[in-house]
Amino acid sequence: MTAEGTGPVMAAGRYIGQSVRRREDPRLLTGRGRYVDDVIVPGMLHAAFVRSTVAHGQLRGVDTEAARALPGVVAVLTAADLNPGLRPMWQTMMGPMAPSAPFRPLADADVRYVADPIALVVAENRYIAEDAAELVAADIEPLAPVLEVGAALDGAADLVHPELGSNLAGEIPAAASPALDAAFGDAAHVVTETFYQHRYVCVPMETRGLVAQWDPASEQLTVWAATQGPHEFRAICARILGLPEAHIRVIMGDVGGGFGQKMFPMREDIAVVLATRRLGRPVKWIEDRNENLLSGGHAREEQMTVSVATDDAGHFTGVRADQVENVGAYPFPGNGSTAGAGSLIFPGPYRIPALSYGAKAVYTTTCGRCAYRGPWMMETVAREQMVDVVARRLGIDPLELRRRNVISPAELPFTTATGMVYDTVSPAETLEQAAALIGYDAFREQQAAAREEGRLLGIGLALYIEPSQSFGPLGTEGATVRLEPDGRVALIMGTASHGQSLETTMAQVVAENLGCDIADITFIQGDTAFVPYGAGTGGSRSAVVSAGAARQAALGVRERIVALAATVLEVAPSDLEVADSAVAVRGDPASAMPFAKLAALAYFEHATLPDGAPVTLEVSERFKAPPFTFSNACHAATVEVDPVTGHVSILRYVVSEDCGVMINPMVVEGQIAGGVVQGIGGVLYEHMVYDADGNPLTSTFLDYLLPTAAEAPVIEYGHVETASRLPGGAKGMGEGGAIASPPALANAINDALSPLGIHLASQPMSPSAIVTAIMARDDAS
Amino acid sequence: MKPAPFSYHRPDTLAEAVGTLAAFGDEAKVLAGGQSLVPVMALRLGRFGHIVDLGRVSALTYVRDDGGSIAVGAMTTHAAAGRDPLVAGSVPLLARAIPFIGHFQIRNRGTVGGSCAHADPAAEIPAVAVTLDAEMEAAGPEHTRRIPAAEFFASTYTTTLEPDEVLTALRFPVWPGRTGSAIREFARRSGDFALAGALCAVTLDAGGRIERAAIGLLGLGAVPVRALQAEQAVTGAAPGDLDMTEIGLLAVADTDPPDDVHATSAYRRRVGAAMAAQALTAAVAEAQAGTDAAQEAAHG
Amino acid sequence: MADHVTETREAPEQGVSVAQVSMTVNGTPRRATVESRKTLADTLREDFGFTGTHLGCEHGVCGACTVIVDGAAVRSCLMFAVQAEGADVVTIEGLTPPGGGLSTVQQAFREEHGLQCGFCTPGFVVSVTAYLRDNPAPSDAELRDALSGNLCRCTGYQGIIAAARRAARELAEEQQ
Repeated sequence: MTAEGTGPVMAAGRYIGQSVRRREDPRLLTGRGRYVDDVIVPGMLHAAFVRSTVAHGQLRGVDTEAARALPGVVAVLTAADLNPGLRPMWQTMMGPMAPSAPFRPLADADVRYVADPIALVVAENRYIAEDAAELVAADIEPLAPVLEVGAALDGAADLVHPELGSNLAGEIPAAASPALDAAFGDAAHVVTETFYQHRYVCVPMETRGLVAQWDPASEQLTVWAATQGPHEFRAICARILGLPEAHIRVIMGDVGGGFGQKMFPMREDIAVVLATRRLGRPVKWIEDRNENLLSGGHAREEQMTVSVATDDAGHFTGVRADQVENVGAYPFPGNGSTAGAGSLIFPGPYRIPALSYGAKAVYTTTCGRCAYRGPWMMETVAREQMVDVVARRLGIDPLELRRRNVISPAELPFTTATGMVYDTVSPAETLEQAAALIGYDAFREQQAAAREEGRLLGIGLALYIEPSQSFGPLGTEGATVRLEPDGRVALIMGTASHGQSLETTMAQVVAENLGCDIADITFIQGDTAFVPYGAGTGGSRSAVVSAGAARQAALGVRERIVALAATVLEVAPSDLEVADSAVAVRGDPASAMPFAKLAALAYFEHATLPDGAPVTLEVSERFKAPPFTFSNACHAATVEVDPVTGHVSILRYVVSEDCGVMINPMVVEGQIAGGVVQGIGGVLYEHMVYDADGNPLTSTFLDYLLPTAAEAPVIEYGHVETASRLPGGAKGMGEGGAIASPPALANAINDALSPLGIHLASQPMSPSAIVTAIMARDDAS
Repeated sequence: MKPAPFSYHRPDTLAEAVGTLAAFGDEAKVLAGGQSLVPVMALRLGRFGHIVDLGRVSALTYVRDDGGSIAVGAMTTHAAAGRDPLVAGSVPLLARAIPFIGHFQIRNRGTVGGSCAHADPAAEIPAVAVTLDAEMEAAGPEHTRRIPAAEFFASTYTTTLEPDEVLTALRFPVWPGRTGSAIREFARRSGDFALAGALCAVTLDAGGRIERAAIGLLGLGAVPVRALQAEQAVTGAAPGDLDMTEIGLLAVADTDPPDDVHATSAYRRRVGAAMAAQALTAAVAEAQAGTDAAQEAAHG
Repeated sequence: MADHVTETREAPEQGVSVAQVSMTVNGTPRRATVESRKTLADTLREDFGFTGTHLGCEHGVCGACTVIVDGAAVRSCLMFAVQAEGADVVTIEGLTPPGGGLSTVQQAFREEHGLQCGFCTPGFVVSVTAYLRDNPAPSDAELRDALSGNLCRCTGYQGIIAAARRAARELAEEQQ
């Protein structure tokens, strides 16, 4: 359901702005997708990992004899086999100097989290590999686990990585600011709160996995990978193995979701690549769900203390933030910290004159962090909950407090205290649109009436600004558009679409800008042997950078087709127009030359063309985007909390989204919805729990609970379209749904509980947690 | 997550099945619908040298009127039992409990006998059996026997079946007269095992007083239990005289539910009390609303 | 296939660890020699080449492996292939209409953007197809409950619910 936007509405083109049905769908709907576990390579062997069952311990020895003797087992590899001789591991976007955990494919002297891979079994099938894995005896002498960030830092706990000398993985010191001190000194109100966010995880429906094939004769490596970034996979393999990139081919077929977990190859991936090199036979590893939950990469576990200084009308005059991230043992990328990005984006859509942001990232003996949809999002989770805390403390309605502090259109371009420049954002408009859509004022009346009956209704808002990440190595993307001899179009891109519908949206961009029928476009991605370099699909960047490249390349081909037609028709290029895969003289439809005819001329019949006639109908472009392009949204949620069971019913959920010109509104709404339900899952259902010994308690879907269709609310959308300054006017938006939904929901729940004098500053807000708070308050009174 | 190897047996008769169990003792495990057992095997939390698949023992799939009780063969799927008119008409509590079991795909394979043999403390079929004082029929190599439901469930995932016995049927007594029944449970998500639940059957006498009441609780202990004190408190009472909230609290007073990642013990008792109150209220309301004929129409 | 366990033991009292199984898959009789512990899901994917059935969890929760066995939607990761001896099995590949193209349910998913990465999609399409065949006029609550046995991580279920609703409506119209 889409409401009328209050912002400027872009006129839809033939394809841009249309909810074109997806070209990916026919094969995916009929079971003809090609995911990595569908890949069969002759002679392929199957891998299974032996993993630590202890969170922290000395690895005294690994006895593989019984495992190796099992019929059907080809090899059992340990650290001694795989770890030596590797060059440093670092991710392109981080650079070689970024702090990171030590990299080792397999545990050697010790184990540093439960599920730490100790040995790799390679066998004729996965059943046998698992049988053999059970026969490997790892002699582990347990050590005390390191689980709490406080204990990890205060010197009482062991070092997770003795070779690093500290459990502090990284630090951003809060900058001293006399202006900020003054703001706090002069403030009418200072409000401080600490917010705790629990550990929850990506859970793509397809786990990680790869098939790696080393050809000793040509010294070439081929990898079929469930990846969000085939070129990054290639680059990292090239680096650590010391191979030329061109000797490595990474092929990404269909991938069943990633959400950040498949952005970078991790230890297991590298171990499998090393195994194929050693054995000279192809090796397939498909992670099972238990492994994915325990070792695929964790996220979100952090806390942030926020102090806000305001004047007596509630205007923010200064904010301090102090963050601690639990990055686990082996995080990716780098040291797993996202505080750098968080520190820049923390002011969000508000006027905050002075700000300081300090952060620490801490290693623990738990699964390492990976990127998860909006990895830095704690800044929004803490900030938006804090706005409501300040509102409650000052006795101002949270909507009103936001109205007083949100950046208004008149203030654009606006430079934040952290140096971010916003010029085409619309937070105030989305705030008003979301409030109107959800019927904020009417709800307050409903809420008051319900309170008379003892029912707990609540409403919550969250505003945020989302960066499309195109800084540094993420700043460019490539596209090749080629008119084929038959007159159809090949679109070859370095994208890694795995649910983002780029096969459709990029084709829309090309069809619109080239003037061809979208049905004539074949989209090719994912094979590093053929496609332009891509930085990976994630980071909300495709609509900016990838679309930019597609557009540029399409316009380039259009120019050439027009030039060729102008030569043939003996008219000026400006007299021609292009539509429906044909070029015609404006006003003279009979003159139309179909692309097929022009292609035939260029490829085959060029002898009939005058000298110098253009015959190259293929353009490759790399598009460079500015480091950040900002989209923004406001989420609004209403809930009812059952005081007996603590069950939270989401009554309505509204998103007012501004991502500039929407290439495909249906796709935009789908991306929002997926993120929103992940955020709802985080607040209400999902919790990756470790016990006091560092054993994970939520290791299957029986205990790690994902929301289902029965728990998902109906999501209502409003759109504001403030074009970016880039050609085409689009902005990225894929992560935002997961960023703003947790604080919107948390705010709604706290609003519902506020008459009971209860405020929850921790997630998850499970039924048991809510009731425990209610019971504690009942006991106290 | 692949299971460990096993030898597979697929008997056609109950006698063969029992014989195989006797031959292999602790090494053998019965496979019914597999919805509980196969995950255990996939996770290698349990391994069995011999799996005895009852899927072809057709004699174990039936729903019969046994005169005064309804007999449900152990290999009857939840889906089939849930559709069966005899169950709907004569054991409405069972018909109402079945939709809470997992999801429809699970109900297509999972069996009433398998659920009882697996004995999850939050499972619905065991709780119905305990609430209605069902009889569990078991067959061994030399005998068959009937075990009262209250004596069948020993502890979490543990029954009093001998290793060489197969659960062959559940016999649910039919409650005559002016009867109502209800199940109320609270789970975090649709289809999950409940954090706490209550099942209730009541019969009213001619004067509208509670002549008989059964209140069963699931998820509040190692096995489903009857809230005997609460049952005593309501028996003989006029429903209008009862404080249902108090009865609910009484129902859970003796329970000691577990603490785990999903809920605390105190939470389970609180919710269990609310569920008991709601289930009793609903069962009474149904009994009050219905004559025998009206009840048939409602349950049909 | 288990290369190193070659015997199909003929002494039934000992049980079998490897067996030849026969079943009809998408209308065609198929046969394979499999270990008794090999799941129906793995057999469909590896021995019969129907890779449209996906493994999302292998413990019976996510529903990505849903197929139809003897008319009932089931989780194929929770069945051993030997249990499907003689059964009639329909996978996602078997739902394509005889003339090709997309079934009504599949087309509804496309219209309503009921899929993004596509990994959970075969399980949903099979489940919805089976469910609507037996429950042609579900209420909204019944539909959501029926869909709750399949997990999706990309769509937030909005498009899936809309697709199932649309399919119910269109199938009902086709019946008239």
